[in-house]
Amino acid sequence: MWQRLGRPLAAGGGPGGTLVPRAGLKKYVLPPDYSDVTLPERPKLKFMDKVPAVPKVRREPRRLRDIRGPSSEATEFSQGQYGILALGGGYLHWGHFEMIRLTIGRCMDPKTMFAVWRVPAPYKPITRKSLGHRMGGGKGPIDHYVTAVKSGRLVVEVGGRCEFGEVKHFLTQVARKLPFPAVAVSRDTLQRMQKEEEEKQLNNQNPWTFERIITANMLGMRKYLSPYDLRFKGRYWGKFFLKHRV
Amino acid sequence: MAALSGGGPWRRGWLPALQLVRHGSKAVTRHWKAMHFQRQKLMAVTEYLAPKPLIPEQCLPPKKEVVKEAEEDNGYVRLLRRLVAEAFRDNRMIVVCQYNPMPNEDMLLMRHYLRKHNIEVKFFLNEIVRPVLSQSKYKNLLPLFVGRNILLVSPETKVKEMLRVLKGVPQINLLGACIDDTILSKKGVENFAKLPSLEASQGQTVGALALLPSQTCSLLQRGSVHLTALLDEYIKQLQAGAEATAGSPTKPALSQSSEAH
Repeated sequence: MWQRLGRPLAAGGGPGGTLVPRAGLKKYVLPPDYSDVTLPERPKLKFMDKVPAVPKVRREPRRLRDIRGPSSEATEFSQGQYGILALGGGYLHWGHFEMIRLTIGRCMDPKTMFAVWRVPAPYKPITRKSLGHRMGGGKGPIDHYVTAVKSGRLVVEVGGRCEFGEVKHFLTQVARKLPFPAVAVSRDTLQRMQKEEEEKQLNNQNPWTFERIITANMLGMRKYLSPYDLRFKGRYWGKFFLKHRV
Repeated sequence: MAALSGGGPWRRGWLPALQLVRHGSKAVTRHWKAMHFQRQKLMAVTEYLAPKPLIPEQCLPPKKEVVKEAEEDNGYVRLLRRLVAEAFRDNRMIVVCQYNPMPNEDMLLMRHYLRKHNIEVKFFLNEIVRPVLSQSKYKNLLPLFVGRNILLVSPETKVKEMLRVLKGVPQINLLGACIDDTILSKKGVENFAKLPSLEASQGQTVGALALLPSQTCSLLQRGSVHLTALLDEYIKQLQAGAEATAGSPTKPALSQSSEAH
């Protein structure tokens, strides 16, 4: 309702009179130095196959644990400066890959930017039974292939002679369309997120933490929890990542 | 009815820690799987509590994170400060005026008239002038540098002409001046303008001092001058008397009367 002034009124204008706001000296910011950035030969995203080169013969069980919990690979930046971070688990199929490839290819400038995949091409076969049949009759045939993505994994990386502001718009566009919650990040923002998490863990005023209760099995809580919760510490539930929890 | 999954619980190797499942939904689902109530309670108890300071941040004055050293590293800022220092050093008269927005042509005319009297109009940003002044001897001028202002600087002190020009420009108001390292207010400047020029006052002083010696000379000569005047008068009267006796015999009365004098 009431908007607080950003600076006190009496600064420099106490006995002399009221302070009339006006523009001060223009601060000339030097443009960023991109001398150490090299663009690869093919700056655009590689085409991902729908089916791997050697299609799988054997049908695999569902193994949903490849969605569950935090990711152990591709959590840090490798070549680029900006990327899309997955904040939940899910499967990416060929349609998603095409969407990402075409959107980023359309919105980026191949002369100054480059993009790199951080997820492999679809490798996991997903079976589907034909529509309208009753249960039973064995496992269905392989329908399509997907890639499993866990939370905390980078999907694509973008780099080159560009600022986050230029890249953020289309990265958020792509992130919205993914099957799991995702966010556009840069190296700085990712570091800041990690630091904030650590700070939250340190300055938590609640003496009762999920980890403490579950490791000591207070009140017999482990009866209602899974052994995976020892690892996930209340931050992961199924494929979801609970960001607000510590 | 479906309390137990088919033949499961009574098999060998059944872990009593595992809860009896009713509907068989897996751990990882597309939808948000409903948590057991105990687990919900645990999640509610172990939520994050942010640290709360005794005095909320809104009640404290805002923290200013201004880094002034970075500004001085800026070459442009250093240049401007040098210009300000030069202006204060090289000019005898520095006048601070309030600047209100005015039409450009009027501004140009004013600058032209002032330039004729060798007065320059300078614009400096307050944020540059203030640190320069606070470290020099002009600390008492600091309260003037608030709001929009301009500096009129000149190596000479032609205050009368300047005031005449400024009178014709209502948007420029005189706030204060520093003439010959003397800080003057608006009234002080007006009084300064009414003073006679340096040459005139010098001449006056010299005249006042030389008055007494000049009088001494005339004082000393007064006696002899008076005597000379009287003798001249007497000679004139004798001559006048001699003419009168040569003209008629009635005239000796006049000469006698003049002799009696």
